[in-house]
Amino acid sequence: MMLEINGLHAGYLKGSQVLDGLSMKIGKGESVAILGRNGMGKTTLMRTLTGHLKPTAGSIRFAGADIAGKPPYRIARAGIGYVPQGRDIFSDFTVEENLRMGVLGKPGLGSTVPDLAFELFPILAERRNQRAGTMSGGQQQQLAIMRALLGKPDLLILDEPSEGIQPSIVHDIGTTLRRYADTHGLTILLVEQNLDLVNLLAHHALFMENGTIVERVDDIARLQTDADLINRYLTV
Amino acid sequence: MELVLTIGLDALSFVLTLLLVTLGLVIVYGMMNVINMAHGELFLLGAYTLVAAQSAGLPFWAGVLLAMLVVGLAGLLIEELVIRHVYGRPIDTILATWGLSIAIKQLIIIVFGPAAISLTNPLPGSVSVLGIDYPAYRLVIMAVSAFLAATVYLVLFRTSIGLQIRSVIANRGMAGSLGVNTRLMDRGTFAVGAALAGIAGAVMAPIMSVDPQMGVGFLIPAFLAVLVGGLNSLLGAVIGAGIIGGASTTLSSGMAQATAQICVFVIAIVVIRLFPNGLSKGFR
Repeated sequence: MMLEINGLHAGYLKGSQVLDGLSMKIGKGESVAILGRNGMGKTTLMRTLTGHLKPTAGSIRFAGADIAGKPPYRIARAGIGYVPQGRDIFSDFTVEENLRMGVLGKPGLGSTVPDLAFELFPILAERRNQRAGTMSGGQQQQLAIMRALLGKPDLLILDEPSEGIQPSIVHDIGTTLRRYADTHGLTILLVEQNLDLVNLLAHHALFMENGTIVERVDDIARLQTDADLINRYLTV
Repeated sequence: MELVLTIGLDALSFVLTLLLVTLGLVIVYGMMNVINMAHGELFLLGAYTLVAAQSAGLPFWAGVLLAMLVVGLAGLLIEELVIRHVYGRPIDTILATWGLSIAIKQLIIIVFGPAAISLTNPLPGSVSVLGIDYPAYRLVIMAVSAFLAATVYLVLFRTSIGLQIRSVIANRGMAGSLGVNTRLMDRGTFAVGAALAGIAGAVMAPIMSVDPQMGVGFLIPAFLAVLVGGLNSLLGAVIGAGIIGGASTTLSSGMAQATAQICVFVIAIVVIRLFPNGLSKGFR
């Protein structure tokens, strides 16, 4: 198992638990999408997995090691790449400086940007010396994904990568990422509302409600056709 | 003409002196956002380390290096014991570091006594600059300040470690998720800010009267320089030190010291009112 979560509890205020005993597993090379309405705890789960929020109970095992409650840099170095909601690129840094940040924090990856960075998303080569904050949302998203990939993660966590980006770019990013994941054996955990991207990237989907996983859908195509499923978990 | 030149040199000397004191502050306050009320006491610690080194018979520059090390280590200790518990809590930071400043000052009084100590000038005599005899040691201070400012700039903007430090300052959470050891960066950055205050104290000690109040006189103009120039900007600190230092020197040559101080404060208030983010906003 790549990731194994058992009985995870976490929240922001004492007494109120956003994650309420959540359990799930992801196998190596698998891509899993988590779907659910706003406020069900998806981002809280991502923040807990990446060490930005300490769990109050439960365990998180990543590649066999317990990472629950460890600081973000330890979790990153253990092999979890993170593309947060809102992307969090360093907007005052150039594109190249942002990409360098992908390798600098990881011991053994050197301090220069590998060529791979510019092959996967050619726009980044064009904008290499531009301030990252001046790029469009879609370009910033490609930068954030590439920055995470340069750290050579075993598991890539993406939180709402399609947010605020035009559908054709979302489609391109999804296709590129799927191809990269297949050739590199990358495991992906995706939180997403955009069903096109889920369809492109995920092998199966998990529905989240009130801080736990309530249903698993193995046939991704069902998401597009089963209106009842979508109504139950996604529409308000 | 000679008067203008003298005032110009005095102004440049004060600007660079102020920059020397401001450098540590621009890192700790401007970049890390820690309002360290004990910054003046770190300056003080630097000066008294030099006093101790001198009385132990160490040469002057060895004393300055020792001051850098001692105050840097003190910074490491202060970060670990106090600052790391109050990151992102400005009011608590002010209270905690204010207490710390009193403690350090009293400790110094216990060890060295309350009386002023004067050190011998390591480089007495004067040098002729453009036809004007100028104290040689003042020129040394100016050179040290310019050298340290350039070094800090190069480290921050031209090295990998500088990029990591800036990443932690820009977005701590994301830097951590990219594998940057944020604790190590916090510790190191604060210690470097403290060490710079220590060097400033030691270098300034021979031309000031070393007493437990000596840090105060520089703390307020240094904070003003950071605010006027803009937080989170090294260039801002240079601009801020230039305006505050330049205004103080030129104004006090033409009017009473107190009136000049009031004018400097008015200038600072006007600049901060017109440019709330500092003059360097928009470029770095």
